[in-house]
Amino acid sequence: MMLLGITAKAQFVKAEIQVSGLTCSMCQLATEKAIKTLNFVSDIKPDLNKNIFIITFKKDKAVQLDLIKKKVKDSGFSVSKLVAIFNFDQLKVKDDFHFDYAGSKYHFMDVPEKTLDGPVRLTVLDKDFIPGGEFKKRAASTTFECYRSGMMGKTRTYHVTL
Amino acid sequence: MKRLTILLGLLTASLGISAQELYVATEPASNMPKNGLALRISQEGGFQNGYQSRTIPEMMYGLDKNLMVHASAYLSNFFQNNYKMEGWSTYAKYRFLSIDSTNRHFRGAVYAKYSSSNNPIDFQEINLEGNNSGWQTGVVFTQLLHKLALSASVNYNKALDNRDAQLFPTNFADESLGYTFSAGLLTYPKVYRDYKQTNINVYLEFLGKSNLGRNENLMDVAPAVQFIINSKLRIDVSQRFQLWGNMTRNGKNMYLIRLEYNLYNVF
Repeated sequence: MMLLGITAKAQFVKAEIQVSGLTCSMCQLATEKAIKTLNFVSDIKPDLNKNIFIITFKKDKAVQLDLIKKKVKDSGFSVSKLVAIFNFDQLKVKDDFHFDYAGSKYHFMDVPEKTLDGPVRLTVLDKDFIPGGEFKKRAASTTFECYRSGMMGKTRTYHVTL
Repeated sequence: MKRLTILLGLLTASLGISAQELYVATEPASNMPKNGLALRISQEGGFQNGYQSRTIPEMMYGLDKNLMVHASAYLSNFFQNNYKMEGWSTYAKYRFLSIDSTNRHFRGAVYAKYSSSNNPIDFQEINLEGNNSGWQTGVVFTQLLHKLALSASVNYNKALDNRDAQLFPTNFADESLGYTFSAGLLTYPKVYRDYKQTNINVYLEFLGKSNLGRNENLMDVAPAVQFIINSKLRIDVSQRFQLWGNMTRNGKNMYLIRLEYNLYNVF
């Protein structure tokens, strides 16, 4: 099941996260301020009505999705959806393909063969990035052990789909 | 009571509008964010024995996503003509359950409080908000349904001797059970666009107590309105009414006005 990962020319530009459990503007402001303290975040904009934050990343810093998730959890809420927006340069992808970014692997699931170019929206499918019930369903049906653990060997592996 | 709560729930749910869980008279099962600090000042009072009032400065802090603490001080002229420092309390709440989905969640928390007072013990009601020394432990569950929030709590209270040799009277019950039901509704804004939009929440809370082993009970209803300004400053205005009660107390039908300021990521 393991294919060789490649270090793709991928730039992590933005992420859109939907946070569940938010009930008030105070909660949203607390969450926003917590995310803003991360050193790779350059800007964060809320859509208060949809409970979505659009986070823009610094070009010269490595983005760590787990740290964003932790900030949301510490604020008392959960991530229910995370869309990662990468800038690719002619990257051929297919099911089970993965690329390396900032010490982590990004592993494609349920995608057709395709060449990615320019900004592309990838939805993260891992535990605590989607509702718990949905993760359990996916974990039960997939053959990828790295999906269940979120690790490939000792490397943090995020699972993404188009 | 049960019928009333169901009715209230159905009524508010059927209106399809939004609600809040920043209750005025009780605490929700949700906690403050980690490293969040809130400073409060509450003023409550009434005309039961001439005008009397109590001032409660309070600090709240989120130690961890699941654990928050409060520290309060109590000052009043409830038991003498002049205002005096009566005592203090500490409170901690641990969230053990959190089921989140978009625009709804269900949460559960346990809490405990220790309170110290130097007042004389003149009333049957065990009141850990300035009147009595003692401790409390309880459990609370809060359900958010879009913007309607419903919360229910049960707690056990044990009164101790007050400070300054104010011994607990042997003819009073020193244990009580508290039970609360709270509903909160966000009425404004209809659509969130900006943190600067003032939120207006309305609340209806039922606050009951029964002294254990005695036929001594009371039930208050506390309607309240709340303004949240700039997502930081919270203003609560509430008036309690005793629905029924047969225990002696000095805090009947009190108003409450509270200011709270929230700071984020303080440490």
